[in-house]
Amino acid sequence: MLLLAGLSTTGCSGRSRRAPSGLVPTQQQQPSLSGDGSRLAVIADQRGRPTVQLRDLKSGQLLQLRHFSRHQPHSSPSLSWNARYLAAVIQRGSRKLVLIEDRLTGRAHPLRLPAGQDPVNLSLAPDGRELAVQTATQGRWQVVVFNLSDLLEPDRPGGRRVTTTTQEP
Amino acid sequence: MILVSLLGIILAGCSSSGLRPQPGLNAALQRSADSRREPALGQRWLVSIASRNGRERIELVDLRTRQPVPLPGLNQAGSQPVSVSVSGNGERIAFVRTRDGRTELMLYRRGAAALQRVPVEPTGVPRQVSLDGEGKRLAVQVSREGRWDVDVIRLP
Repeated sequence: MLLLAGLSTTGCSGRSRRAPSGLVPTQQQQPSLSGDGSRLAVIADQRGRPTVQLRDLKSGQLLQLRHFSRHQPHSSPSLSWNARYLAAVIQRGSRKLVLIEDRLTGRAHPLRLPAGQDPVNLSLAPDGRELAVQTATQGRWQVVVFNLSDLLEPDRPGGRRVTTTTQEP
Repeated sequence: MILVSLLGIILAGCSSSGLRPQPGLNAALQRSADSRREPALGQRWLVSIASRNGRERIELVDLRTRQPVPLPGLNQAGSQPVSVSVSGNGERIAFVRTRDGRTELMLYRRGAAALQRVPVEPTGVPRQVSLDGEGKRLAVQVSREGRWDVDVIRLP
């Protein structure tokens, strides 16, 4: 009902709706859509701590994440095509690092940037093969692109899984 | 002592294994702007806000050629980009800009070099935007009545 009430028409530019946030409305920031447009990651306050949340847009349901329940504050979430991979900046001790959760295998890939750089913003390529990271280096913003093909299988449109490794049943 | 330091650097490099920098591309990105922020990747595209001589512009780089591609009509005089996102095929760019004291959500279609404003309803101030792979749906962070919402908008 709340969701229906939130539907509105925006002239010739399409239809907009407020992303559902459950019965208790929470503030949501830093949205990131999956490539197929079916999932939405945001940063929401959980007990005062900025935390990544992932939602299925069709059902409105929150999806379980294994590896994003701690190391807040989280920021800058980014999703691959079918939302198999969710990347975000997390805080571990005094350092910020990139954490990529593989929602298919349940694995976590914590990635510390080289040369002591701290990630500020990031973007995962739709197929998950590249990662662009904004860093602060010598007092200026820079963008550095990393290849992840040694680390992640591609997450391609249509959910086709391409792998050479043995798959668990 | 130097050897120990070098070993430390090498080991630190190993600890971030799986992250393989792209030296040619990264050097080109550094050379071509005084600073760069808000990166967003498409399948073979990187869009970001690049600053040169104190002016910020939205720039789309073809990752295969490492060269920026022309975006006629996108960066307008007196316009300050805030956030930017690109569709998977690089055809559509959604961005938030401030211009003449207004903050606007915009959509740019590269094929037609067409720029249009996307209404935010109910009224609010857009801040951060994300396009899906086909550029047919966008999510935008909006400030309304002192709180942050996220709207999802279907695009024609």
